[in-house]
Amino acid sequence: MRKFLAIVKHEYKKIVLKWTFLVGTLLFPVLAGAFAVVPAIIFSLKGEPTRIALIDPGGKVAPRVKENLSVEKMKEKADKAAKEALKDITATQDEKMKRQAEQFGESFIFIDYNAGEKPLEQIQQELNAQINDGKLDAYLVIPPNYDSPDAQFLFRSRKAGDFVTNEGLSDALNQAVRSQRLSDANISESKLKELSANVKIDTKNIDETGEKDSDGVFIASFIIGMMIYITLAIYGQAILGAVVEEKETRIAEILFSSARPFELMFGKLVGVGLAGLTQLAIWIISALILVGVGIAQMSAAGVDIVIPNISVWMIILFFIYFLLGFFIYASIFALIGSMVTTVQEGGQFSFPPIMVLLIGFYFSFAVIRDPNSSLSFWVSIAPFFAPITMPVRILSSMPPFWEIALSILINVAAITFLVWLASRVYRVGMLMYGKRATIPEVWKWIRQV
Amino acid sequence: MSENNATLKVENVTKRFGGFTAVENLSFDVKAGRVFGFLGPNGAGKTTTIRMIVGITIPDEGRIELFGEKVSSELQNRIGYLPEERGLYKKMKIADQLHYFAALKGVSYKDAEKRIDFWLDRMQLGEWKKKKTTDLSKGMSQKIQFIATVLHDPDLLILDEPFSGLDPVNVKFLIEVVAELKAQRKTIIFSTHLMETAERLCDDIILINKSQKVIGGTLREVKASFSKNLISLRVSGGERVLRDTNLVEITNENADSVEVKLTEMLDSQTFLKRLLAEGAIVSKFEEIEPSLNDIFIEKIRG
Repeated sequence: MRKFLAIVKHEYKKIVLKWTFLVGTLLFPVLAGAFAVVPAIIFSLKGEPTRIALIDPGGKVAPRVKENLSVEKMKEKADKAAKEALKDITATQDEKMKRQAEQFGESFIFIDYNAGEKPLEQIQQELNAQINDGKLDAYLVIPPNYDSPDAQFLFRSRKAGDFVTNEGLSDALNQAVRSQRLSDANISESKLKELSANVKIDTKNIDETGEKDSDGVFIASFIIGMMIYITLAIYGQAILGAVVEEKETRIAEILFSSARPFELMFGKLVGVGLAGLTQLAIWIISALILVGVGIAQMSAAGVDIVIPNISVWMIILFFIYFLLGFFIYASIFALIGSMVTTVQEGGQFSFPPIMVLLIGFYFSFAVIRDPNSSLSFWVSIAPFFAPITMPVRILSSMPPFWEIALSILINVAAITFLVWLASRVYRVGMLMYGKRATIPEVWKWIRQV
Repeated sequence: MSENNATLKVENVTKRFGGFTAVENLSFDVKAGRVFGFLGPNGAGKTTTIRMIVGITIPDEGRIELFGEKVSSELQNRIGYLPEERGLYKKMKIADQLHYFAALKGVSYKDAEKRIDFWLDRMQLGEWKKKKTTDLSKGMSQKIQFIATVLHDPDLLILDEPFSGLDPVNVKFLIEVVAELKAQRKTIIFSTHLMETAERLCDDIILINKSQKVIGGTLREVKASFSKNLISLRVSGGERVLRDTNLVEITNENADSVEVKLTEMLDSQTFLKRLLAEGAIVSKFEEIEPSLNDIFIEKIRG
């Protein structure tokens, strides 16, 4: 037992005391944060406002276009679009959309241009000249026959590639023309608003605890699935690396003359597993603190925010499932490590288990969409997949207790088998130098007493 | 060869890998406080036998007794094994590695710390304690590996080709250290195919070839049993004895000395007496012993 603890300590320290562990621990939240924030920052970078002239001989459409491009209108529109696309929208996202809309609304400056009775060619010539002089960025000519199907709207811009602006303008124009056509058909403005109002859908999840706000569940489930996937992949590979190092450097021979192979392998699994658990714990605890602080600040600022309710019981289950997943994949990686001769060779062989892990990660999307389908039931019980899919399912909609118990039981059974299998291969493979073991050889080692 | 002071007893041990027999019906004893040469060409079964002694593998047949008990993981703590294929953790500090190896042999942290300092000092590597393996030269890491072998103060040391890759200065140094350990009544098994080294260091030897024992015993006994009754002498007179083909056969003659092979009619002492009785003046009389190398070559080729 003392030797076993020495092995565990050795493996744990080997990972945790390395600067890469510190960097990884700090970097993951930073990276995750960057993924969330950077695109928003980039999109919110404000371009120069577009100076645009609207030429509308009829004088009916242009005011509507201007109105549609106003800040208030843009906000309203963005809101609607976001709600339709995302259904569950967190308060922070909501805020972001509003800010973007404001910025978008401010991105047009309307330049007056008195077209008078000038012919179209002359207008175009004059405006083109203005654009060339840098006094104007774009102009839009609304034809008098705007309600005819073959009416030609002219849009000339020196920033024709700015699709965000162009899209916005084209939307505004479409709406303006449509409402003008309706009003021409004697449908009043208020009637119009009434008719085109969106339906309101109240989205809530239902489980045993009653109704629950689904706000943030999707994101939280995705993050937890991602976190488990990444840690399993990283720490599985860490096992592979550690095993191959001891084989490659022939340290295994000294180790085997000091402790039993099973002790050595299992000690390695436990040590590396604890290191992974440490990292996961740091992430989860810091995430909880950050979210807690964030909520406190938000509600202080008057923003109403609902976070998915995560109980202590859930967090304990996440850690249990991380460990189940870790032991499943780590024993496979230990087995591979003792078969191959170099880390590179091991890399090739680690592709299949990583694929299986990835499939489990993909299944988690199906689970998020429908946590109570029979597919969700089976993938959250099956070994190899359950370590990712079950935590996601628990977060989406807590399954009955017996399902969790069954899933844990089946995965523990799988681990027992895999650890046994890996230790059989390990004790022989670690002392076989020179060439990679073939499958028949490995089969022989397994059956060997 | 009394039974009770045997550190190691190997009895009728056989080990097979699939259809290949690596070690066949091998028996030998290693006595306490002696340096035991475990000799044989590459692939003879030396490493397989050692792995069974240190408990890495288990014999298919036969029995191995260490310190009067069957091999167990407890007894592993009393063995120091320096494998032929050896290595260190590349990116780990020397002190940390040594601590790990010591802990695996059941040494407490405090004791290990003291011994690590002692041995690093003894090996003149004191200032390398906090360095990593990658900073070390090959000779240095070999000395670190040796430290890992002796750190837990084992009663039985098994050194598999300990000098391969070392420069002569370090070889001499290591031989001194081994001599010190022998003086502390440690039992040492040397596995090597270098006969010159074995001849210099070993009290007892066993020679194995093609998974079987060829010859074994004290170095003296082995050499004696291979004696060809060759005598090198420088003599004036005594012609009658020298030319008597019933007694001797001249195998080599040059201006200064002559080499003769005695027939079964007489032993070396009688031969000397006969020469002196003839009035010959003997200024050199030396029995030529076969070197271990000669024995090795003869046995392995034969």
